[in-house]
Amino acid sequence: MLSKETSRSTEPLRKADINIKLSEFEIPPMQDIMLVGKKAPIGPEAVRQMVDAVSPDQYEIVRLNDHEVFEAVVLKKSLLKLLPKEKLLSVVIEEGNRIANENMVVKAQINITIQVSRTVDL
Amino acid sequence: MHMVKNIMSQKLYTIGPLTGVSRAATIMERSGIGCLPVVDEGKLVGIITSRDIRGSHPNRLVADAMTRDVVTIPPTASIWEAKELMEKYKIERLVVVDEKSIVGIVTKAQIMAGLSKYIDSLTGLNKAEVFYERARQLLKESHEIAVIFLDVDNFGLINKEYGHVYGDNILRKVAVILDKLVDKNRDTLCRYAGDEFAVVTTRPLEEAEKFALQLVMAFANEKWPAEIKITISVGVAGGRRSGIRNLNEDSSYIVKNLINMASLASTKAKKLKRPVVVVDAIEFKEMVRKQEFVYDNLK
Repeated sequence: MLSKETSRSTEPLRKADINIKLSEFEIPPMQDIMLVGKKAPIGPEAVRQMVDAVSPDQYEIVRLNDHEVFEAVVLKKSLLKLLPKEKLLSVVIEEGNRIANENMVVKAQINITIQVSRTVDL
Repeated sequence: MHMVKNIMSQKLYTIGPLTGVSRAATIMERSGIGCLPVVDEGKLVGIITSRDIRGSHPNRLVADAMTRDVVTIPPTASIWEAKELMEKYKIERLVVVDEKSIVGIVTKAQIMAGLSKYIDSLTGLNKAEVFYERARQLLKESHEIAVIFLDVDNFGLINKEYGHVYGDNILRKVAVILDKLVDKNRDTLCRYAGDEFAVVTTRPLEEAEKFALQLVMAFANEKWPAEIKITISVGVAGGRRSGIRNLNEDSSYIVKNLINMASLASTKAKKLKRPVVVVDAIEFKEMVRKQEFVYDNLK
């Protein structure tokens, strides 16, 4: 024989777990280079506004008129003291092209090591 | 003459370059318009069209979605100039700019509606206004022009003998023959009035005379209904422009005189039973003084 149900149904218990992950906001929030896709959610003008507000005079925007994936490259000016712009851009764009499509904004961290070997007369 | 300012939309909506694309889309949708000029500190910096919006992410700024090279036109330009600009750049709207400020937008639909008033409903050819406008424009661009005036012989008699419906069919056929022979890059053909047609051309006078003869021959070789013979008489007038004082006033004067001389020459051709009579090249500068002499020679 089945026992009669005596307990009343109660409201479901609702709880909230809060997990907090704190870290320092990176200034600037972008890294060394940013490649802006042609159909990305932000375009070069928006990037310029952001960069100028957060890190004035530290970045340069290069518009790419004929590239099939990227519309612009934003790069840290200090990198250009280490490498000429054309050489740096051609490498970064070529590598970015391998992994990105026109809807993406890709950020790149660049480490440049200059190797110098000099000989002096004794 | 019909100018852009007479047909353009003057109620103007503009947008700033740092506004979002989705905001631009909302304004365009609510206002029922297809584009917005982008203005930064009073200066026109671009234009955003519905096509630009379709091709952009809605999160973007207008500055990152707009077309930067804006094709503009002054309000005093003619609707034909506007049409040519639209065809040249394959666009459907022009921003109308008076000196540096935007005064309106003109669309392809507005231009086509304006132009339709200048198409002859019987033949589908341009009306005389188009002829005058084109001639003035060619003179403005420093071209040497010639006017070929064509008159269907005995058209009044044809109308009386065969009826006006038959006469209208003849005029339609005349228009088709002429339209096939003109070179659109060099010649502008119009139905001038009644049974008269005119061509303004950049062909040199000698070449214009040969072309006029070619037109006459085309009629001679054509088979017409009821086996009647349709012929035309042609007058050609042309000349060089030099020493023009006021381009707008003088170019209108020159065009009117050329058409007058060519029409008188066609009358002379009819009287002399010659297919083509040509008025020799003259300097427009001296035309004012020689005008009576020219007319006397034509009589």
